[in-house]
Order: sequence, then C-alpha cells, then structure tokens
Amino acid sequence: MNSDFANLPDLINNKNLEQMAENSKTPDMTTIEEVQGIETEKATPEDLADAVNSLIPLIVGLLEFKLDNSREGILQTVRPVLDRLIEERSLEDLPKMAAAIAKILPEAIEAEIRLNPQAIAKAIAPEIALSIREQILLDASAISQTLGPEMGKAIKTQIELERDAMVDALYPVIGSTIAKYMVEVVQDINSRVEKTLSFEGIKRKFQAKIQGVSEAELIFKESIGYRVRAIFLIDKDSGLVIQEIQVPGEKQLDSDMLAGMLTAIRSFANDCIASGSELDAIDYGDWQIPIEVAGYCYLAMIVDGEPPRDFVTKTRRVLGEIVMEHDEAIQNFNGNLADVPVAIKTKLEQLAEVKQRHSQKSSAPLLLWLLIFLLGLVLVPWGIGNYRARVAHHIEQAIAIQLDATPELSVYRLDPTVKQGKLMIKGRVPDQYLRDRAQTIVQGIADQNKLQMDNQIVAVNVPATPSLIMGEMQRLTKLFNQQPQVSIQTDYQPQTLTIQGFVLDPSTRKTIGEAFKQIPGVEQVVFNLDQQLPVIKQRIYFKSGSGELDFADNFSTINAIKTILQQHPQLSLRLVVQNDGVGSSVVNQRLSQKRCQSVKTALIARGIQANRLITNCNLLFSVKNKDNSQGTWRKRYVSFEPLISPNLSE
Amino acid sequence: MSTITQKICLLGDFNVGKTSLVRRFIEDQFSDRYLSTVGVKVSRKSVEVKNNPDIHQINLLLWDLEGNTKFKSITPGYLKGASGSIIVADLNRTETLQNLHQHLELFLEINPKGQATIALNKADLIPPEKLAQLLENYQSQDFPGIIGVYPTSAKTGDHVEEMFQELAAALTSEEKL
Repeated sequence: MNSDFANLPDLINNKNLEQMAENSKTPDMTTIEEVQGIETEKATPEDLADAVNSLIPLIVGLLEFKLDNSREGILQTVRPVLDRLIEERSLEDLPKMAAAIAKILPEAIEAEIRLNPQAIAKAIAPEIALSIREQILLDASAISQTLGPEMGKAIKTQIELERDAMVDALYPVIGSTIAKYMVEVVQDINSRVEKTLSFEGIKRKFQAKIQGVSEAELIFKESIGYRVRAIFLIDKDSGLVIQEIQVPGEKQLDSDMLAGMLTAIRSFANDCIASGSELDAIDYGDWQIPIEVAGYCYLAMIVDGEPPRDFVTKTRRVLGEIVMEHDEAIQNFNGNLADVPVAIKTKLEQLAEVKQRHSQKSSAPLLLWLLIFLLGLVLVPWGIGNYRARVAHHIEQAIAIQLDATPELSVYRLDPTVKQGKLMIKGRVPDQYLRDRAQTIVQGIADQNKLQMDNQIVAVNVPATPSLIMGEMQRLTKLFNQQPQVSIQTDYQPQTLTIQGFVLDPSTRKTIGEAFKQIPGVEQVVFNLDQQLPVIKQRIYFKSGSGELDFADNFSTINAIKTILQQHPQLSLRLVVQNDGVGSSVVNQRLSQKRCQSVKTALIARGIQANRLITNCNLLFSVKNKDNSQGTWRKRYVSFEPLISPNLSE
Repeated sequence: MSTITQKICLLGDFNVGKTSLVRRFIEDQFSDRYLSTVGVKVSRKSVEVKNNPDIHQINLLLWDLEGNTKFKSITPGYLKGASGSIIVADLNRTETLQNLHQHLELFLEINPKGQATIALNKADLIPPEKLAQLLENYQSQDFPGIIGVYPTSAKTGDHVEEMFQELAAALTSEEKL
C-alpha cells in the first residue's frame, strides 16, 4: 500500500487542502460544545485525547489560515502525521474519506501505471481471477459482454502462435460437428437416391465413385467385414498406455510396447514428414490401425479388416467425449493406471462392444449359411434333375438307335421321351404293323430300364405319294418279272393298280396280287392277266427250193404277228423253221437258214425289234411225215412261238 | 499397491552402447557386433520397488534412441513425456563425454521434471587407474539435476543393473506424492 500511495501527500498538498479545510468548517460548533461538555462533566485522559481529536477540524481551520501565510511551514508540520491523520479519519468516517480519496484514485493509478507498470501488475495480478469471478456473480453478462468482442481476436492470435494446441483443444467440438454434419448430408443424399433406385446398389455405386475404387472392391470390403481386436488410449507424449481394451479370447497384444512404437512412429512422422498434419492410420497386413488424436492423448485401434466410415465417426465421438470429460486426468497421467478414471474404460468398452455387435462377424456365417441353404435349394434339385435328364437322354438315344436299326421304321420320325418313370414314344407311322413293330422294340428297352411304356405312336393312313407308289410298284414288277413264266406290266392310277401280262402259274399269280396290295396307297388291284401265252397259228410258207419270202402272200401274216408283238411287248418270238425233207439235208439246212433269215428280215423291216426275235435257224426241223398227199409246200414253212423273255422287260 | 509405467530414454552419441546397455539390463546378454539403431527401439522391463509403500512395481519402458551424429540430431519428439533418462557416453571417446551436457540439457528442456542419470560406458576397456581419474572428471556435481554417474560396462554388466535400479527408485520416490 505504501508504494501505491507514495505520491498521495503531494497530491493532497497541491489540490485538496483548501477543500479539506472547508469541509472541516461545518462541524466546528458541535465539536466545541462537545469539548465543553467533557470538561464540565469528567476529565479522564481518554476523554482528553478525544477532545484533542475533536479539535482537529479546528486545527485544520487554523492551518488553512496559516497556509495563506506560510504554505511551506504547514507542510513541514503536517507531513510526519499525515498518514496517521488519514488513518484516523478513515476510521472515524469511512464514507467521507473514501469519497475524498475516490476522486483522485483514477489519476493516481494512471500515474503509477505510467511510472511503474510492473509493480501495478504484480499488485493486482493475484486478485484478478477473484475479481472476475466476483463480477460474474454480481452481473453475469457484464464480463462476457466485455470480453466477447475480443475473443475472436484472441483465438486468432492464439492460432497464429500455437496452431497445434488450438487444433487439439477444438478437436472434440469441431471434429464431431463436422462428422455429424457430413453424416446428415450423406443420409440426405442417400434418402434421395433411395426413392428412385435400390438403396444398397446406389450407395455402393456412389461410394465407388467417391473413393475411386471399383464396386467389386466395395462389395468385397462389405462382405469381409471388420473386427476390433484392441483399443488403446495412449499418452501422446510419453507413449504410455492410459487405458486399454483387448477382446478376450484373442492373443493378447503387448500394449506397452505397441503403444511405445506407435508413439515413436507418430513422433517421427510429425517431426520429419509434415507439420500440421497427423498420422491417421497404419496398415499392417490384415490389420488396420486407425489413429485419432485429441488433447494430450490419442486413440489407436487394432482392427482386423477394413473399418467402415461410421466406425471412425463413432470413435471420434467417443474420443471427443473422453477428452472433454477427463482432459485433466489425462494431462496429469503419471504412469499409474490406478489414477485413471474408470469412466474412460467404460466409454472405451462401450465402443468395443458396439463394434462387436455391429461387426459383421456374427452375421457373416449366418449369411453364409443362408446362402448355402439357398444354393442347396437350387442346386440339389438341379443336380438330381440333371442326373435324371442324363439317364433319360441315354435311354432315348438307345431307343433311337434301335429304331434306326430297323429299316422299315428308320424312315419315320419317332420321338422317345423318358419322364417321371414313363417311357413315352410319339410319332406317326403309316400303319398298324409299323406301330406294333416300334412298340415291340421300345417295350424291350422300357422293360430293361423298368420304365412304364406309353406308346403314343399314331398309325395314320397317309396318302402315299404317287412317286413312292410308283417306285414300289416298279420295284415289285421288276422283281416278279425276273421269275420265269411271269411277264407283267403294272399301271397305277390313284388307289387302283392294274396288272397286265402273263403269269402262267396260278400260285405265283396269287403271290403277285398279295404283294401289290401291300403297297401303301394301293387299295385295289385289278388283274388283267393271261395264264397262257397267245398262240400264233399263222405260218409263212415257201416255194420249193426257194428261200425267198413272198411278201404279197404273207403280208397279212406278218402284220398279224406284228400286232401280237405290239399287244404283248413283254413277249419274244421264236422263229421255228420246217423243211419238206425233199432233197439232201444239206440243201434243206441251207434253205431253212435262208428262209429263217428272210422272215426275220421281213419282221425287222416291219418295225419289230431284232432282240425280240429269237432265231434258231441252224436247227433243222424236218417233217418226217412222208405223207405228201396234200403237197409238199405245207411242209416248208416258218412258224412262230411266243415266249416270255426276261430280257425284254429291262 | 500398484504398478506404474514410466518412460525412460537412452540418449547419447552413436556407438556409445545405449542398445547394449538395454540388452544387458533386459536380457543379460551382450554382443560385440555393432548394429546401429534406426529411429527408436522400445523395450520394457519390470522392476520391483521397495521404497514406496503404494507402489510395488515399476514398468520401465526403455526408449533406446538412435544415437546422434553430427549429421543427424535426436528427434526431440522421442523425448517427450519421459520421466527419466540415461545419458550415455563412451569413456574411450572424449567427444562423447563432452556431449553429455548437451544431451542432458536437451532432455531437461523437454522434461523439466525428468530424472537423469549418466552412464560412462565401456568401462571395461579402460585400465582401472585411468578409470578412477576419468571418473573424477565427471562427478555428479558437474551435472546439475542428475541422480548419479555410473561407470558401466554392458560387456561385463558392471553397474548396469545398479544404475537402472537407482533410476527406478528415483522415479518411484519422486512419484506419487
């Protein structure tokens, strides 16, 4: 106090003495009366002192008077007792004294600050905090109103001076605020997208775009999930573990060493790589070690797999809460785990539990089983069906081969189908015979495979195509014509088959009829058959000793022969020459040859094919009949024998 | 009764034997092969405490720092939060002894309340009479604020255990209260 008011006497001297004197005038009368009262009643030393005190105003008045005369003298007189005077006066009438001093106090302090600022600071400092607190109690808003406008500048300055400290201090608030805002934004976007298309798919596409990775990678990450193995709250500077959570049942990690090395890595990164940025995460094989820093500590999590974004968000929130509530305990951590608030552990445990519940570990096997079940649901019936289909296919193939091996059936399309223990065969054949034939073949295979036979082959009366009928007809005709004594010609008009020609043997004739009736499309067979070859009675006679044919005489004969041959194109004609036996056989032989040749030539000349004429002119037939009564000319002739020639029909 | 954990840094020039001291203390082994520490290696050893009724064990987390050379100084971040430090010099290399002050200052600057001790290592390589003389030159009083100066040998194990035990004791008596 002394130093604070060191210049007070001067101030009083200079400015306020007159005033003090004036103030003192008023109580003059009362004081004198009191003094008189004291003297008349009782006079103890104390009373005397009081009386003297009471006289002070009077003295002041005197001094004032004296002051006009000798200011210096008064100063000399008053100086030694001035402090006592003030003290006494203060005790006596505090408000008045205060009022008196108050007027000069601001200037006094101002002057002292100017002269000796450090001393003032030192004097006031211990009480400033208390003063502010008192003022807040008196008027809660006054201090904040005063400091408010300066806060912005103060923070700005602080950021310039100590950027990292500010980041750490504000982290719990700003970090989670931004995270919360971003979550809201993303949710908003998602909900918009969801309304138009599948949520999951779009979200994934969206993430893929944002992260610049393929959708497949995202799906992979989603499906492999993640699992928290351990959480460590670590002192940022010393690397000591403040609190740790390790998932039971796993190999326990050496938290001290791990925390130490992580801290060393952090320090190294902070010192050597970049200032102002932090190490966010360490990838170590299958492990991810996300790191969140706040205040005096950081949180390191050992995670199997890829932690999703909301895990990081939740971690930040929890760390923010821990730092907010236990910052002091963390700052003062001295390596003694017993001093760490239990609440931190509770918070971390919540974090770990939540992660466990939300981790996809539990749901992954469930999903897997569900998938296996669904696959089984599809694959097992499919497999069985596939096997059955293969067996059925084998049977069907075997049937097809068998049917193919049967010539009469090979041309028809018959579809065997094996289904549900039944062997069904479908198709169309022209008749019941073929249907039965197919039935027999298929039945055998059905029995082998213990299948029930279902013959759905329809025997239809297909109007056979004329070309087929003609082909079959010609085939049969040719076949029968190869037999001796058969020479037939066939003709087909729709549904009716006509057979012409010679069938000399009645039994053969019957066979032929049956055969032609078998031709599909032939409903009626008309026989126009001769059982005997025609007989040619005409002969050509010759003059005796002449081999020349007399055309004029034999014109009608030759014409008749020609007609017969034309009527029966399948017939050949054998020329038989006969002589009269007159003369030597040599002559007759020669004549016979000549006559034979003459007739042949004549017939050929009339348009008969040479190959239909069989001549055996060298063969000498002489009529042994010596009866020449009717003239020998009747013995010199060429006769004709029709015969069936197989060559002709070709 | 509880366990506390404290961070201890080993400081000193390169090749003075910091890693060997740690190895001798933790594994009781020694190797002549010189392997330069890169960055930092963290090790741990638990030490029984007898001088404090509240604490029965102290976990020493030993940060064996890369020795500094004239090209590369110690990363100050490694020193942060250390309660104690062992500053190591090689008795055979004068310059490492001269650098002791510099290391001590760095440590105390970062950890004003830290406990420090000095290991004058490779004492086995010095003849006994010369050793005594050297030790006289490096007395505790020459280094303000240290627990003690120990002529150690990671090779023979001389004073190694003792030095760590003393440091642990200093940390626990200072602690807690």
